[in-house]
Amino acid sequence: MKRYFAVLLGILTAIGGFVDIGDLVTNAQVGARLGTSLVWVVVVGVVGICVFAEMSGRIAAVSHRATFDLVRERLGPRMGFLNLVGSMLVTLLTFIAEIGGVALALQLVSSVHHLLIVPFVAVAVWIVLWRARFSSIENVLGLMGLALIAFAVALWQLGPDWGELATGLSPAEKPDAESWATYAFFGVALFGAAMTPYEVFFFSSGGVEERWTEKDIGVMRANVFIGFPLGGILSVAIAACAATVFLPAGVTVETLGQVGLPVAIGLGKIGLAVVVLGFFAATFGAACETGLSTGYSLAQYFGFPWGKYVRPREAAGFHIILLVVTVTAAGVLLTGVDPIMVTEISVVFSAIALPLTYFPILVVANDPDYLGEHVNGRVANTLGVVYLVVIAVAALAAIPLMIVTSMGQG
Amino acid sequence: MKRSQRPTVVAVLLVLPLVLPLVLLGGCGVVARPDAAAWDDRAAQALTDAGSQVATVRLALASAGEGRTWSSYTTVLVVQAEEAAGRAEEDLARVQVPAARADTAAAVLDLLDRAVDLVAEARARAVAGRYDDAGLLDDLDRLEGDLRQAAP
Amino acid sequence: MVSLADRDGYDVGLHLLDRQIIGADDRLVGKVDDVELVLDDDGALVPTALLVGLPALLPRFGRRLGGGLARAHRLVREAAADQELPLVVDFDLVEDVSSEVRLSEPAPGLLHRMAHERAADPRRCRVGDLLGLPVRCAALPRRSKVLDLRMTGAPGRPGEHRVVALLVGPGRPGALFGYDRSSEPGPAVVAALIGWLHRHARVVDLGPAVDIDTDAGVVRIGAEASLAPLRG
Repeated sequence: MKRYFAVLLGILTAIGGFVDIGDLVTNAQVGARLGTSLVWVVVVGVVGICVFAEMSGRIAAVSHRATFDLVRERLGPRMGFLNLVGSMLVTLLTFIAEIGGVALALQLVSSVHHLLIVPFVAVAVWIVLWRARFSSIENVLGLMGLALIAFAVALWQLGPDWGELATGLSPAEKPDAESWATYAFFGVALFGAAMTPYEVFFFSSGGVEERWTEKDIGVMRANVFIGFPLGGILSVAIAACAATVFLPAGVTVETLGQVGLPVAIGLGKIGLAVVVLGFFAATFGAACETGLSTGYSLAQYFGFPWGKYVRPREAAGFHIILLVVTVTAAGVLLTGVDPIMVTEISVVFSAIALPLTYFPILVVANDPDYLGEHVNGRVANTLGVVYLVVIAVAALAAIPLMIVTSMGQG
Repeated sequence: MKRSQRPTVVAVLLVLPLVLPLVLLGGCGVVARPDAAAWDDRAAQALTDAGSQVATVRLALASAGEGRTWSSYTTVLVVQAEEAAGRAEEDLARVQVPAARADTAAAVLDLLDRAVDLVAEARARAVAGRYDDAGLLDDLDRLEGDLRQAAP
Repeated sequence: MVSLADRDGYDVGLHLLDRQIIGADDRLVGKVDDVELVLDDDGALVPTALLVGLPALLPRFGRRLGGGLARAHRLVREAAADQELPLVVDFDLVEDVSSEVRLSEPAPGLLHRMAHERAADPRRCRVGDLLGLPVRCAALPRRSKVLDLRMTGAPGRPGEHRVVALLVGPGRPGALFGYDRSSEPGPAVVAALIGWLHRHARVVDLGPAVDIDTDAGVVRIGAEASLAPLRG
């Protein structure tokens, strides 16, 4: 009984933890501008994150090595370091966006300017990282993140023309006002939002911290293969809500308040309150995860003690990094940069940074030295290679598309 | 010069003449001086942006009027829309208008001005908690239509 | 997870370098930032210690970048003059090597700073210095380098430990991603691509025909040395 409860809890937190500020903003933007014609990218992204997370979860369970251990072991110190710097910058960018997202969510409740909230959020995040237990962070915030299911309920209440939404799924139904370059740009952004690299750093580091063994592979797979796709459904619901309310009205989404507006229209105050709680939980949870991920990455590369299970005194380096990134993130936000813009940039750079960690993981997942009998099977390898190509194409296309469309403006 | 630096210097010398004209042509000077077609694009962008903000304000006020949002949520939404509408107008107003578009520009900027004013009025009502003004919603609706028509 | 004890010989760069070192009390000690080798009286290269810390890691970033970083590190840590030398874990303490390097003693008090005379000993060198050394050999492409060192024995096991062969070829150390062994099928496409990129790489057994000249920073391989393909 307890075991089933643990599995269920894992799945629920995986659903709630899937959506972060990048998913919220990008899905709403895409829904408002391109309707449901990019939903297929969410599906591609969700399958991709499943493939990626399952491989690194399996490696973590069998060999107790997390992402950046493997990156350095396979790529050597030099390439590994470049890789570390690139991935850390992207994770830091995401961290900034998440903290900004928490502040924006609180702003919607208090109408206090988000710049005044940022310092408090940063302090709160740091205290949680410093004091709170790993599992409670994940469980509490993951479960609260489930509040975003209100998007699915709101969509049902909005009563869209389901037939129209369904026909809109085809890429051919792209609104004529938008160019194919814009379409492709948002495709890459959506892919980056679904496959944010920190999710995998965090997932595998968490597996190592919780001392997964080969016996836990089943539970890990249940979390990944049930939790992430259900989280992906939330993403699609956000896009569909935006498509229903904003696309006909010609509204482009630029604020977090707009993201929640369809829920207000569909469900009223209570639904909106639930969704804003969901915003808070999803962004706060992701802020903790990204913050921890920067510390994990650096500690794993240099091999000093890391993690929430080691006492802070022994993992001093790890906790100093957490403090430094939190202060940096707050500092960047206090310059007055728009958190939504940071989010838009961060999802694109997530797509760019993906191959850096994906490739070493794919290679190690085939290495019997690490995995013994649990090496990639034929299905995992076929998908793994397909996604290697997809990820490489998305990463290469990202910068040119960003320039051509001036970040989706044109 | 050290031998190892030579390729770098050559590369810089080769790339500079290629990049500089692009930067100048791309309108990255102090004042943007787009040609007529580029100006049209910018004007359309500004009109679309303003239209989006006006529509947002209308949705926000309408749902607030029905008691579907709370006051701080509405306020934040409307204030952010007001800022964005103002930015759209300012961005276009700062662009040097090509001679061929002098008349259109006046009309477009006038329309944008109306949008900013109306959104500001809506913001004032929203902050004061008066959402039930059907006239304002109609005005917003009409203006949204005008903006959409003006944007090709 | 396969332990090195289960295999017959191993590659230092692939199986030992950059692995996590864990004490007998399960604490993380550090990474294998480098491995110290000693040139034996009979000419064999024998591993003697794992080196830990930035002074061991930074030189591996390459001659120019690594040199610069090491200088920067010395500047920053000037107050502690001995910190320009790495920490040492004796090879005898290694109990097992799998996806981690497990030591036979608990972590606290285990690491000691390398002595100056040891660092200056001309018979000692580091694996990091050997990897990437240019290789002069008529049968190999001109850009060939030392890609990895192949050892006999397994750390923590009795018996002979020494470098028996070099992996040489064009490219840089680590760029084989472990595809040099037949045990690793990998995704076939990736394995084939990397195999093709490294089609000129060879294994050369150490012997009189192979001269590792650390002073000149070059490895010379005579015509009579036997070059075997990587896999097979």
